Amino acid sequence: MFFFSYLLRELRSRKRQAIVMATGLALAIGLVITVSALSSGVRSAQGKILSSLYGVGTDISVTTPYTQSGFKQITPGQQGQRIDSLTDTALGTLKASSVRTISGLQHVAAAAGALILTEIKATIPAANAAPPTSFQPPVQISVVGVDIRQLGLGPLAAAKVIAGRTFAPAQTNARVTVVDLAYASSHHFKVGATVNIAGQPFTVIGLVRQAQASNPPDLYIPLARAQALSNLTGKVDTVFVRAASSAAVDTVTGEISRRLRSATVSNSASLAQGVTGSLKTTAELASRLGTWLAVLVLLMAFGVASLLTLAAVARRGREFGTLKALGWRSRRISAQLVGESIVTGIVGAAAGIALGMAGAYLVASSAPSLSAIVDTGNNSGKGGFGGTLGANGGFFRATLGGGPVQTVTNPTASHTVHLPFTAPVSVGAIVLAVVLAVAGALIAGSVGGWQIGRLRPAVALASAE
Amino acid sequence: MAAGGPRAPDAPAPLYALTGVTKTFYKKRRTIYALRDLNLVIRAGDWLAVQGRTGQGKTTLLQILGGLDRPDSGAVIFGGEDIAQMREVHLTRMRAESVGFIFQTFNLVGTLSAADNVEAALIPLGIRAAERRRRVSAALENVGLADRARHLPSELSGGQQQRVAIARALVKEPRVVLADEPTGNLDEYTRDEMVALLEKLWRTLNLTLVIVTHDTRVARHARRIGTMTKGRLTINTVNEHR
Repeated sequence: MFFFSYLLRELRSRKRQAIVMATGLALAIGLVITVSALSSGVRSAQGKILSSLYGVGTDISVTTPYTQSGFKQITPGQQGQRIDSLTDTALGTLKASSVRTISGLQHVAAAAGALILTEIKATIPAANAAPPTSFQPPVQISVVGVDIRQLGLGPLAAAKVIAGRTFAPAQTNARVTVVDLAYASSHHFKVGATVNIAGQPFTVIGLVRQAQASNPPDLYIPLARAQALSNLTGKVDTVFVRAASSAAVDTVTGEISRRLRSATVSNSASLAQGVTGSLKTTAELASRLGTWLAVLVLLMAFGVASLLTLAAVARRGREFGTLKALGWRSRRISAQLVGESIVTGIVGAAAGIALGMAGAYLVASSAPSLSAIVDTGNNSGKGGFGGTLGANGGFFRATLGGGPVQTVTNPTASHTVHLPFTAPVSVGAIVLAVVLAVAGALIAGSVGGWQIGRLRPAVALASAE
Repeated sequence: MAAGGPRAPDAPAPLYALTGVTKTFYKKRRTIYALRDLNLVIRAGDWLAVQGRTGQGKTTLLQILGGLDRPDSGAVIFGGEDIAQMREVHLTRMRAESVGFIFQTFNLVGTLSAADNVEAALIPLGIRAAERRRRVSAALENVGLADRARHLPSELSGGQQQRVAIARALVKEPRVVLADEPTGNLDEYTRDEMVALLEKLWRTLNLTLVIVTHDTRVARHARRIGTMTKGRLTINTVNEHR
């Protein structure tokens, strides 16, 4: 076909110009793909962090600040003491009726309450006992009471069952527990084993694994049982809420804040505010510098392609003048030029995709793992998202040698989550690359076509080849 | 009086009728009168050679005849229509269907073969590929280059390139062929060959031919010879026997 034969011969004869144009586009497309992969990796990491904190399917979490002193004075007595208690150490409590109140709000699809507790096991020596030769640190285990009727929402929603099963609807008050895989491995727990929680035996019915980025609790037990063991009957400390639609999240957040004035109501936007560390820095770098750099390089590539095309039109003036003399319409000549540009653009896109994939691979393989410092404190006032899965930010300090022993909750605790950095190149990014390359080629070709349209045949024929 | 002279009772109808054609260029505050109040009639089957020194308006006349440029004033009637007033799209169509150009520098597309260069003239006519190929072969055969169809211009001599250009001008079977110094870049031997070829084609195809040339030996083959001086055309010789 004449069109393609002419097009390919022209491209072959003007290899250098075609290579320069394709290289420019390839560099720009490569950068766009790399930045897009980087953003995608960062988004994925952020998603993992947020979902682990928040739970899959949760749009809003409701907590209240911890109102107690944070210190539980334990005075050593004449006899040594063994402490094994389940307490709410990080969050204030809400009435369980709040869950019903929230469920009844407009645009709320579901709500589930939970109690995020810490079991503290310690041995307190007698007041007059000689100091022990070795320090026996207290043991703290995070235990979460989950609403068995709403397992799709809340702490267990994102968990993957590795062995056994999760709670059955009939087990609302049963002495059964689901154990985090890491905790189970380190303590050699298997399905069917017995675990003592606050002095009561619980049967392990399942092992689960949470998302990599999470700081998961060690044990999950039915909410009613957790309330009973912690003397918090009729209380929850976190309410997980799913909005009817993403558009309704802000409305529901506002409505809950209005109804429960003392509560801290967080959604993913406020949650993300509390994530700092290299993840946040990388996210900012990808979204600001990366995006602007990609846009700048893309514009430059389009500009260079357009200038090269204009230069080509000027250089091929006599050729185009001759075609006009032969009766070729400007549109037909422009189509020929646009065709050449598009083929160059497609070559540039292919090279750009290869470059982008190589760039994404290099970034992913050479970049250190991302760390996110997740503020799990619930008393800071602004964050307020703590107390979901990362509530065990408190620590225990024991003073030995006859002095008082204090259980201390650190109200502004945080934990660092490390995530391997990935930069996945999506099909969407590749399609975008091809579209951008073709768009660039079309722009360049159209600029050339516009120039051809303005070309007067008599003048073009007089131009030097 | 028009440079075409009075029409004999059996003379063919005018293909071109130029009346009061003026074309002016402005260059560095200088006004150059390329054509001044030019009147000319060219009948179908005529062969007009236009001579004159450089810068006298010969090429401008050819460009206006071919619809490549427009006069500032006057009428250029071609086949009954004033191409000076024609819309660009119709002018392009007129060039595609009715005018064949031959240039001094051949103006072949360097990346296309001889056959493709000739075929380029048929592209705007929307002729089917098979018919295009047939006509291209016939045109190259006519100019004695059937065996060079796949050659690139760079692989052909100057004379052969001009033959390709002639084939390109004739393949569409135009009503007029306009040649601007067609032998200007050729040696004497090739020039004579080229003139002989043009004369043969003019006779056998009953062409209307307008040639702009410096060369008297080329011009004397024409039926009418005119001279351009400062934008005015004077017909000096009429070879009635040709």
